[in-house]
Amino acid sequence: MDDFDIYMDKFNEKARKYIPPKEKWTPVEEALYKPKDLYRVPLDEAKKLQLDAIKYSFKYHYENNQFYHNFCKEHGITPDDIKTNEDLKKIPLIPDKFFKEYPSGRDFATWLGNIYTGKLPKIVIKQKNPSYDDVIDAFNEAGIIVTYSSGTGGRHTFIPRDKRTFSTTEYTAAKSLLTMMYPLWEYDAHAYLMMPDPRVNFIYAGKALDIAYDLVKNVNAAITQRVTTKLISMAMGGGGGLKGKIVRYAFYRESKKTIDRIVDWLKQREKAGDKIFLIGAPYLIHFVIEQLKKEGTRLDFGENGGVGTGGGWKIHEHQRLPVSEFRKEVEEYLGIPSKYCLDIYAMVEGNGWMVHCPEGHYLHVPYTYYKAMVLNENFEPVDYGETGRFAFLDAAAFSYPGFIITGDQVKLLERCPVCDRPGPVLEPEIKRAKGEDVRGCAEEVRRMLTTDLGR
Amino acid sequence: MTKLREIKERGYIPPKTMRNLLIAGSLAIGKVFITNISDIRKLTKNSQNFKPQYVRPPRRYELPKYREGMKYCDSDEKYLRPTLYCNPRAPEVIALANELGAFKKSDREFAEAAFEFCKRKLTLEMLPLDSVENTLRRGTGTCLHEISVFVALCRAAGIKARYKLYSLTVIEAWEDTLVVDPLIKKWSDAMGYFMLHGEGEAYVDGKWVVCDVGPTPERQAASGIPITRFGEDSIGVWTSAIPGTIMRLESLPYGLNAMMKLVYKIAPATVDKVNVSILNMIEKGKKILEDKGEENYDREIRKTYKPKFPETMLKKRQEIVFE
Repeated sequence: MDDFDIYMDKFNEKARKYIPPKEKWTPVEEALYKPKDLYRVPLDEAKKLQLDAIKYSFKYHYENNQFYHNFCKEHGITPDDIKTNEDLKKIPLIPDKFFKEYPSGRDFATWLGNIYTGKLPKIVIKQKNPSYDDVIDAFNEAGIIVTYSSGTGGRHTFIPRDKRTFSTTEYTAAKSLLTMMYPLWEYDAHAYLMMPDPRVNFIYAGKALDIAYDLVKNVNAAITQRVTTKLISMAMGGGGGLKGKIVRYAFYRESKKTIDRIVDWLKQREKAGDKIFLIGAPYLIHFVIEQLKKEGTRLDFGENGGVGTGGGWKIHEHQRLPVSEFRKEVEEYLGIPSKYCLDIYAMVEGNGWMVHCPEGHYLHVPYTYYKAMVLNENFEPVDYGETGRFAFLDAAAFSYPGFIITGDQVKLLERCPVCDRPGPVLEPEIKRAKGEDVRGCAEEVRRMLTTDLGR
Repeated sequence: MTKLREIKERGYIPPKTMRNLLIAGSLAIGKVFITNISDIRKLTKNSQNFKPQYVRPPRRYELPKYREGMKYCDSDEKYLRPTLYCNPRAPEVIALANELGAFKKSDREFAEAAFEFCKRKLTLEMLPLDSVENTLRRGTGTCLHEISVFVALCRAAGIKARYKLYSLTVIEAWEDTLVVDPLIKKWSDAMGYFMLHGEGEAYVDGKWVVCDVGPTPERQAASGIPITRFGEDSIGVWTSAIPGTIMRLESLPYGLNAMMKLVYKIAPATVDKVNVSILNMIEKGKKILEDKGEENYDREIRKTYKPKFPETMLKKRQEIVFE
């Protein structure tokens, strides 16, 4: 077994195209790439990294983003007001719903351009009345990746990420998960992404895991076609007339086949003694296990398998799968120990990945570049140990201001009650705050593939 | 008969944004109708035997009597003249404007009095558009009826006034009140937002002041939101405008009423349900305000109801080229 430093060196070697040259590092890159383990940085050192990174990021957005500059002026806050870690709480926070308030057609492109911080590359919109997908494609051609997610209200959240921001989010997603899964990862393994193929999709359900193709030799994705915004609305919404019905039926058929394909794949991998990773929507993994149960099959990957889940825990419209129960069934039917069955909490508006620790399954915050906060009903930060609305300051968002108030209700603890990592953690159960839409990328995938597969 | 020139000048022809909205709204409702033909047939059939549950509440005010010689503004200037559904020279409007202090109070004071009257005395009821006189006689109407009364009162008093209209999404409590029937749900789902809402704007002390006359304090209390004041926009308080849809108009344009009439004709039970739901909401809010007192309620809720939103911008970016 490699020691941790060698393990991370190997990871950084495979992920090197995601790491900018050192001479270009700003305080943000220092906080992201310098620590080998983002969750074990001594608190004093982390405090300095965090302050420098977020201060730098705040100043950058204040100076290069007109709407955010105006917003800060309304709050009477300038970069000069941020001197200490305590001052970070003064940074004006944007409600996540703001990113759902967009127009259609050409105005949508202009809206995205106004969300964007800094100079855009040249973007050519050819259509007279472009759809959202047309605009996303035009931005993508120019090197801006517009990822999206959707609430049940049918309004997407659109976030424009430049290459720098996108590389960062991919790198930190992988680094966060593989750090916690130490020493499981090696390149010569097999992975199944339980999500739309990130190489052809912009739906945030997994887009950041594009990096998986560089880190693991053999990668498969559950949904191989392009899932456009139009397709999502037809598959999720119940609209779309006959075409919508056909789309929903096709998704339903496809999801049945997908489960069979994954079960076959798992059997082959176990037989060959391969190392595997299952990453993505828990509900899909749950239905794979249900299929194994039906067949009376138990697989035994042991310490040769890892499961990384994310995006929410609904398995049916009104049924939630308890996370601990999920770990039990993974252990029972796949033989993968619970230390390698970890959940990830993240959202389309951010680039921080809160990952379970293998010891206690608390969600650890990457505190060198990302400040997690809990707000009370007056939207004021409260102390550790209190439950409230989750908010964060994310220095890794270069192309849009990543200072966000979410619709999730969490409890933030100063440190993990189980493991010895020094940074803050979230209690594993995340709920939606009162009055917010149900959301989560796994929930989107579940609703798209519809359907009560297990019934 | 309305002259062609008047139609053009006063903006009775829907502007492009409104035309797009009307088309989108018609297509969405058309789609709902086509894909739910059997349900619509049932609705139409039921409408023949339908017994309304909604009882219009009594008017919240005494309508003052019009007397010959009452002062009013008869200017033909833009924003002062009569427009569609909004006749500032109707006797009911002139009488009320005089009672509210027209030509005695300053423009700001009068506009504020007209705002308070429309906001507190007119009750929301879903029904097709008609004249301001009818609205004043009934004491009820949609937000468009209510804005028209506000605009007419201001114009009668010689204060320029106009409509601010836009497509919107609303807070959950309002959605729960309005989307009480599968037909409405399907319509709003098909569009992804509500087609139209608006506010009045009065030109006071050299600038346009927005007046959210639509929701009564009771309805705002029932939704757990602040009671919007003179000069305070509903956008950001209880609505979110779909960017690019905000229109500022001298008149309500043609075409708006057709859709409302159609829904009213085909699905009166649906409209009835919405109206009952609105009255329930008002009752709920009334209790909250009686318990807490309006001032206390408003002060407390303003501290907690929502975080501040940045203003959405649609400033042209040179780097984005439209071919």
